[in-house]
Amino acid sequence: MSGRQDLSSRQDHRRAEQVDLGRWATGLLIALAVLVSLGPFLWILVTSLKSPAQIGARPPAWLPELDLSFYRAVFGQHDFGRYALNSAIVATATTLVAVLFGALAAYPLARLRMPGRRWLLGLVLGASMFPQIAIVGGVYRLLMRAGLLNTYPGLVLPYTALTLPLAIWILASFFREIPRDLEDAARVDGCGPATTLFKVFLPVAAPAVATAAILVFVYAWNEFFFALLIMTDPARQTLPVGVAQFPGEHEVPWGDLAAAAVVATLPLVALVLILQRRIVSGLTAGAIKG
Amino acid sequence: MVFALASLGLALLTAGCVGDQRDAGAPIVLRVAVWKANNPEAWNEALARFHAAHPGIRVQLDIGPNSSTQLHDLITQKLRNRDASLDAFLMDVVWPAEFAAAGWALALDEWFAPEQRAAFFPGTIEAVSYQGHVYGIPFNTDSGLLYYRSDLLADHGLSPPATWPELTSQARRILAQQGDPRLTGYSGQLRKYEGLVCNLLEFVAANGGDLLEPAAPPAIAAVAFARDSIVHAIAPRGILTYDEQESLDLFRSGGAIFLRSWPYAWTILQDPAQSQVAGRVGIAALPAFPGGRPAAALGGWSFGVHSASRHVREAVAFITFMTGPEMQTHFAIQAGKAPARRGIFRDPGVLAANPHFADLLAVFETARPRPRTPIYPRISHILQRYLHEALSDPDSPLERLARDTQAEIERELATLRSAG
Amino acid sequence: MDHRQRRFGCLLMSPALVLIVLFLVLPIVLSVITSLQIDNPFVPRRFIGLGNYARLLSDEVARGTLGFTLLFVGASVALELVAGIALALMMHQSLRARGLVRAAILIPWAIPTVVTAVMWKYMCNDQYGLFNLLLYGGRIEFYQAWLAQPTTARLAIILADVWKTAPFVALLLLAGLQAVPDELHEAARIDGAGPGRRFFGITLPLLRPAILIALLFRTMDALRVFDLVYVMTQGAPGDATNVLQFYGYQKTFPEQQYGYGAAVSVVVFLLIAILGLMAVRGVGTRLFAREGE
Repeated sequence: MSGRQDLSSRQDHRRAEQVDLGRWATGLLIALAVLVSLGPFLWILVTSLKSPAQIGARPPAWLPELDLSFYRAVFGQHDFGRYALNSAIVATATTLVAVLFGALAAYPLARLRMPGRRWLLGLVLGASMFPQIAIVGGVYRLLMRAGLLNTYPGLVLPYTALTLPLAIWILASFFREIPRDLEDAARVDGCGPATTLFKVFLPVAAPAVATAAILVFVYAWNEFFFALLIMTDPARQTLPVGVAQFPGEHEVPWGDLAAAAVVATLPLVALVLILQRRIVSGLTAGAIKG
Repeated sequence: MVFALASLGLALLTAGCVGDQRDAGAPIVLRVAVWKANNPEAWNEALARFHAAHPGIRVQLDIGPNSSTQLHDLITQKLRNRDASLDAFLMDVVWPAEFAAAGWALALDEWFAPEQRAAFFPGTIEAVSYQGHVYGIPFNTDSGLLYYRSDLLADHGLSPPATWPELTSQARRILAQQGDPRLTGYSGQLRKYEGLVCNLLEFVAANGGDLLEPAAPPAIAAVAFARDSIVHAIAPRGILTYDEQESLDLFRSGGAIFLRSWPYAWTILQDPAQSQVAGRVGIAALPAFPGGRPAAALGGWSFGVHSASRHVREAVAFITFMTGPEMQTHFAIQAGKAPARRGIFRDPGVLAANPHFADLLAVFETARPRPRTPIYPRISHILQRYLHEALSDPDSPLERLARDTQAEIERELATLRSAG
Repeated sequence: MDHRQRRFGCLLMSPALVLIVLFLVLPIVLSVITSLQIDNPFVPRRFIGLGNYARLLSDEVARGTLGFTLLFVGASVALELVAGIALALMMHQSLRARGLVRAAILIPWAIPTVVTAVMWKYMCNDQYGLFNLLLYGGRIEFYQAWLAQPTTARLAIILADVWKTAPFVALLLLAGLQAVPDELHEAARIDGAGPGRRFFGITLPLLRPAILIALLFRTMDALRVFDLVYVMTQGAPGDATNVLQFYGYQKTFPEQQYGYGAAVSVVVFLLIAILGLMAVRGVGTRLFAREGE
């Protein structure tokens, strides 16, 4: 009897040790992951807070002198507040339009009996696989003829078109998971398809809607090449274009560039911090059903 | 029905944005594409003066990145679509031939007469000419220069080298005697980009070669020299990634004896807040090869007019203003840009702000443009590939690489001649 | 009922379809047509059938860029999967600071690619770079020019891409992780299986669908990589970090060879489509197999 108890208590002890070691190792790994994830951004942040004299120092200094001159330059001389506003407008508008159109399109694909919907989805997904470089020419010509260059719709419309396939796919996958009873109940209550969609479906599909919205927003905020070619009027340019303009005629003003980079990123970083739970749950819960 | 609704929606969106810009009496709006200026104040003042002198015109700048290739992407996208919203633009020194052959830039012969052209450096006029016509008015000019550590050379009783071999031997001597591990012999721009072509043009042309004939002996010898005596001998390891920024940073932190760069670097190097070698820098023309003459790559920008512009006369008025003596002086003083007009170099105000311009005059008179062909971007890409590969590997098979490159160049040039 | 449903469905889909046709399908068709022509500003445009594609086959530089593209895709996707699994496991842990850890891990994904490229370029800088500082401290004579040598430049681009996208892969995999029932783990633990055995025996097999989806998405995206190369290296040194999509850009924009550039883009698309089709056959059909069709 006692022998057996000794044995199990020793096993428990060993297991406890394993758990402690495991926890230590895991904690270390997690700390490492956080460091690697945040490291580059922190480094750029540090750089942006250095004084102009510190920027050219070899070797580079670890600690900044907490000098805001680069931020003053970026917001003053280089008008980054304007770029931030433009990015916000374009990204928000794209998100609203893409999610709305996407939801409208996903509903029939998921629910209604539509002929050839698999082909349609395939076509849509296929189109989204085309390299952006090839699309730029046609998009530019269309926007030019419509007089939409250097306007907000000039970016919002192509961005929407480029993100719709993904948005539709996410929403359609989620819609399909919604139990039929909900719709049947709605139909019994006398709701037409339109009311069913808006009053019943969308609220239930909130996680997928949020997911699609976040993905579209991040894409629209970060997109670069189309913005470079379509928005040449500084009053309309977005943050990525603003950042890319910085390399001066002969030299890269790393301090200014670092401050610009921080400004271009901070809104999204804040978004992630605030919405991280929603992002995680949205992308994991409804979207991917293998 | 649905599609009607959708198109209506799109049309509404569209209509909301086009909106006619002017009613009778409102000023004509000129859209001019330029790069992002390092000092916007100089430009703002220039525009203010233009608006005061021409109340019926308002100039709106379309700003692009400072990188020449990225600005080129942006401008050519508008030009190839005959986007009438673009009236005038800046052209890098290698673009006029391309823009002219493509019919994008307007020939300016009638507004820019030969007598007026004489006021500009010959190299700059050559750069904006194509098949007997001029397609731009030079705005500023640039040329490769040699910067050197006057203190180090003086310590060793040396004067600025007249030939490249002299430069390398001076560098080796100084390096050996200084014994400073942070010091290197030469800094320049040898990254795989346009600047590489400029740097190597200076070697090749100084040796009597032509970049369009890389397989000819003078060209091969020049490249071999650059590879063996500079890159893998006295230059820092990273020189093959340097553009203007990095090469200047090395020199201004005391890391190099010689620097090949553009005139803009002078003000930075002489500013104690930005340079650790302020007061110990000299400038000279680039060295030649024994028995030859030095060659400096021509840089700089000019203004052109879009052939599809609806306001040609106003656009010409604008670019004439910006390249006129008053503005050239203004930019020379405010922005340190070397003007394309020769006379400005004698202006006391300009010389006061840029004393080194006096030394630069002779260099600018002899600066050489890069190959003038409409397909220069293709040629440049081919040359960049060849040159960077040739320089990177100390044992690169130069003859073979050069032969292949020349064949490729000739093939590309042939596509222009065959129109069918 | 069906008729009304069909009409209603068409109505709902039309806004999305109009946009997609105008801004996606039409430009693609235009691009494909252009790829069959010699189209540049200097000679009259003419139709040459598959001439551009034939030229592409014998184009050495194109082949080189294809080689690096495949290398890039293979290396970055593999690393992203490994890192993604690790990150997913970390995000799965119940910690006190779970929210902050997750947020920190997600941040690289939220940063604009342009900014990522600038950051990494700065970190690789051979005079003020963070990597040099970490590796060599104050001994600046040892500083390396990471972006000057082909091998390290390629490594830098791959790592930058992995750094940026691993969080997204982790999110995709986290879904799969959360679907693994705890009871299975408990049972295995009671049976004496260590964490390693449990991972490889239980977790990994159940993660397979999620891994395949992540693999599919990431491969298709990695084949199209552009912004990173455009801002970080422009294909340098030599053409070491030139990828096919960037080569297509070079032909179209700087060199004004629209027909040839379009052909390159079509080839990129075909690569993506082939891979996509192969994967969809294996994974995607299950997505549509439910509703009685």
